[in-house]
Amino acid sequence: MAENSGTDPAVETNTEENAAASATIIKVTVKTPKDKEEIAIAEDSSVAQFKEEISKRFKANQDQLVLIFAGKILKDGDTLGQHGIKDGLTVHLVIKTAQKTSGGGSSQTSASSGPGPSQGNTDGSANSSPAGNLGTPQGSGPSPTPTQPPNMLAGFGDLSGLANLGMGSANFMELQQQMQRQLMSNPEMLSQIMENPLVQSMMSNPDLMRQMIVANPQMQQLMERNPEISHMLNNPELMRQTMELARNPAMMQEMMRNQDRALSNLESIPGGYNALRRMYTDIQEPMFSAAREQFGNNPFSPSRTENREPLPNPWGPPDTAATTTSGTATTTSSTTSSTTPSVSNPLGISSSSLGNGMFNSPGMQSLMQQISENPQLMQNMLSAPYMRTMMQSLAQNPDIASQVARPSFPKMLQMFAGGNASTPTPEVRFQQQLEQLSAMGFINREANLQALIATGGDINAAIERLLGSQPS
Amino acid sequence: MDQHDSTFGVQLFICDLSRGMARQLSPIMLGKQLDGIWHTSIVVYGEEFFYGGAGISSCPPGGTMLGPPDTVVELGNTEVTEEIFLDYLSSLGETTYSGDKYRLFEHNCNTFTNEVAQFLTGNKIPSYITDLPSEVLSTPFGQVLRPILDSIHIAPPGRNVISCQNNHG
Repeated sequence: MAENSGTDPAVETNTEENAAASATIIKVTVKTPKDKEEIAIAEDSSVAQFKEEISKRFKANQDQLVLIFAGKILKDGDTLGQHGIKDGLTVHLVIKTAQKTSGGGSSQTSASSGPGPSQGNTDGSANSSPAGNLGTPQGSGPSPTPTQPPNMLAGFGDLSGLANLGMGSANFMELQQQMQRQLMSNPEMLSQIMENPLVQSMMSNPDLMRQMIVANPQMQQLMERNPEISHMLNNPELMRQTMELARNPAMMQEMMRNQDRALSNLESIPGGYNALRRMYTDIQEPMFSAAREQFGNNPFSPSRTENREPLPNPWGPPDTAATTTSGTATTTSSTTSSTTPSVSNPLGISSSSLGNGMFNSPGMQSLMQQISENPQLMQNMLSAPYMRTMMQSLAQNPDIASQVARPSFPKMLQMFAGGNASTPTPEVRFQQQLEQLSAMGFINREANLQALIATGGDINAAIERLLGSQPS
Repeated sequence: MDQHDSTFGVQLFICDLSRGMARQLSPIMLGKQLDGIWHTSIVVYGEEFFYGGAGISSCPPGGTMLGPPDTVVELGNTEVTEEIFLDYLSSLGETTYSGDKYRLFEHNCNTFTNEVAQFLTGNKIPSYITDLPSEVLSTPFGQVLRPILDSIHIAPPGRNVISCQNNHG
């Protein structure tokens, strides 16, 4: 019977299966959820005949078969042609499970992993609580994860950091203050942050730290005025040491205590007090003020040196008096939010200030503005499942995360430095620097611009950068 | 006309997981414009069905934590009854669409919706949605993020379709 397949259409020997006259065989794909098969059938067969073939192939009872094509259920009495089923098309098949319980029961075991450890798929949170809070079970879906110190995550793409700003407050500045307040009121939080391997790995990368600090425009101004500071930043050894300290709050406190004791001894040496004072006013105070201005009140402002006209704070934080000379040196209360710069920790780095520094870059700011215009956005964003699991996986793979952050970080800095809506484009901002560079002989304007963006307008660093990329 | 089976309308709900951030940041981060990170679900029989790290789940329309959709696309009508559909879903859930098979790039909520849409109506979902993973992966940044993103399972809470079979009469 197979001989007649193509030769003699008139002679019909395949009459068993095909009822009608010209039996053009078409190949129809029949797709079940589990499987798919190609079935050859005559073009003008009826659905019943089709089902017969199918039941043989799929080893199911014809009654159990439900055929669907283009949203229609194929009834036995119809023909394939009626539904437009042609060669190469796909028809869907559902094999009805006769008894509901058995059908449902067998599918339980494989799918039962669903509701329970759904987050367990991402390996549950073995991490300390900051990450742990992220993996809240699905039941508590819409409610934002409470009190997450977002700062340390800020380095990894402020998207992830943003998701943690779950305070529901529309004004970003308020948010930041809330964050600080919480941080200050809950010292354990800080140690929790520190314990997070994500943070630790981030902090052990001095380059990253340096970039983050440098990205802060206030810091940049500071650096211009006090070249020693930039030297300090450029000294990896020192950075690493500082990072170590920042990472380990206990150690830091101890060191600070020792330093303070040593310093007070110094005071007793004749002339020592002056040395101390000089040290303070030249180095610490400007830096401290720069760091403090982010947070508002500057109780240490009394002796403004001459090159310290009040730094315009472009982000206009709601601090009422940036120059209150209240004289109440509240060193103790401020330790958590902005670590008092001491000799051993010259940059006054603490975990929270790092994060805040990142937040305050102008690019972030415009983003924040847009978000704060639509407070719902914030709420929605942090409740996005995407965010939570992203954080979880980030937290569990600090290596990957730091690797990711490193290559993309300069890009992100670029983005924030050059890509925000409210301030002029980098070309305009760096107009002066660009001219200077081209006057110096760097004719490649593109490269110049890139370098300037990357260094935030610092001509010297940009030149170094440009020279570094040109081996000649 | 064999209309003794009533037909059911099938809709596609499209949500932007990034809540507008992708539209703003994608040109910079990825180098190309992506209008959103699309998450889709099928709405039929008054229920929203979607696939995530928890397998196939369902909930009242607009009831996932993503809220009401950004866009709704009418996919057409289907004659498939709810019973058959749920049978179909449970088979899918056992095999190709179990929770652990979820892959953010290759086998995600949109893969599921595409397949279900074709099952129910014969129509596919708009291509800009199914093209998204390859769009992202074709950028260097996407490549860098890939290992992290691969481990993400988006699992919005909802009723697990498989287990609700037992409750149906």
